[in-house]
Amino acid sequence: MSSVNDSESDLTRKQRREQAREERRAAEQAQAQQASQRKRLYQLGGVAVVVVVVIAVILVATGSGGSKNAPAPKSAAATAASTAVIALLQGIPESANALGKPNAPVTVQYFGDLECPFCKQFTLTSLPSVIQKDVRTGKARLEYRSMETATREKEIFQTQQVAALAAGKQNRMWYFVELFYHEQGEEDSGYVTESYLQGLAAQVPGLNLSEWTAARNDPAYSNEVISDAQAANQAGFTGTPSFLIGKTGSTLQKFEDSDLTNPATMEAQIEKVAKS
Amino acid sequence: MNRRSVRIAMIVLTVVGIGIASYVTYVHYAGIKPACTAGESCTKVQTSTYSELAGVPVALMGLIGYLAILATLLAPESENTRFATLVLTLGGFGFSAYLTYRELFSIHAICEWCVTSAIVMTIMMLLSVWRFLRGAAPASGAHPHEPALAAPPAEGIRGPRVA
Repeated sequence: MSSVNDSESDLTRKQRREQAREERRAAEQAQAQQASQRKRLYQLGGVAVVVVVVIAVILVATGSGGSKNAPAPKSAAATAASTAVIALLQGIPESANALGKPNAPVTVQYFGDLECPFCKQFTLTSLPSVIQKDVRTGKARLEYRSMETATREKEIFQTQQVAALAAGKQNRMWYFVELFYHEQGEEDSGYVTESYLQGLAAQVPGLNLSEWTAARNDPAYSNEVISDAQAANQAGFTGTPSFLIGKTGSTLQKFEDSDLTNPATMEAQIEKVAKS
Repeated sequence: MNRRSVRIAMIVLTVVGIGIASYVTYVHYAGIKPACTAGESCTKVQTSTYSELAGVPVALMGLIGYLAILATLLAPESENTRFATLVLTLGGFGFSAYLTYRELFSIHAICEWCVTSAIVMTIMMLLSVWRFLRGAAPASGAHPHEPALAAPPAEGIRGPRVA
């Protein structure tokens, strides 16, 4: 009898020990789980902080939008731009939207939006070489045409492009276009105001301001902007700058400029068309 | 929601993201107009100065990001691969938020492709956070209070078959 009791109490002790071990194991596992959960939360927080910092850096590096405006008309930056533009264009014949001799064998049509930053990049890096080597020498003539891409509001696009075309009435459009790109402000910052346009016009050498103001109301220029948009659409252009190149007086062909900062491809195309 | 279906859902979403990013990258390099129901909005976004970052098209960055996420999802599951998915999707979510901000407040135009990608990335980020915090599936019988994932009983111990 006593041995049976002993064995029962042994079993109970064994069960209790087993139970205690199980509970200890469970507690340890729960603790380990809590610790790894805490570690994951810290990791998650760490990654989130790094992502926020990286995005903040990208935001600052790409500009806050609207803070960088065009230079004031009489500022040092505007004076430097005027000097560069005069040096580039002086002595080259101009007529309406065209730069270069009317009998030049090759015509290049440049479809642009005056607020487009890629056009600015092209105008300031590649175009000066093309103007010096091909336009000034009488091999090619450049025509500026309008295509809306970067400008947010249609009315502002119309106003700024007409302002440029109106300078063309006094054969000064290319001065206006070049100055616009040189002094271009931050995209969509609303820098194109009436005083900005007046300031640019005041920098164009030899431009009669009252005649220019009167010409801005000429509906012919508004219609020209519309017909340029139709031509761009017909050519299948999707962005600016876009180009058509060909023999003067014949049908021009679409030209893809693979590197906007390198004038070599456009110059080679002009050469090819001139020799054809 | 179990771990397996979350992983499958994430793989499907990543493939959708790869499709969108591939198309937008193609449009960027081919210089064609993207298909867009909102008029010229997509073209405006695609040709804006914000369509590239340090000279690299953001569409291409998105494509590379989605491919990296797919690699972490297809790799054998572990704490490390779940963490890698989390890092990539959180990064992708942050970048999508930045691009959406640019669309709304700098370009003032919305590109449907970008918005769809941002939604896909947001869902993937939420799923990867859930997946990472839940950790690995408990090993069979590892926890005394939680039954092991139901495994089909062996044929021999199945109950009597009813005729």
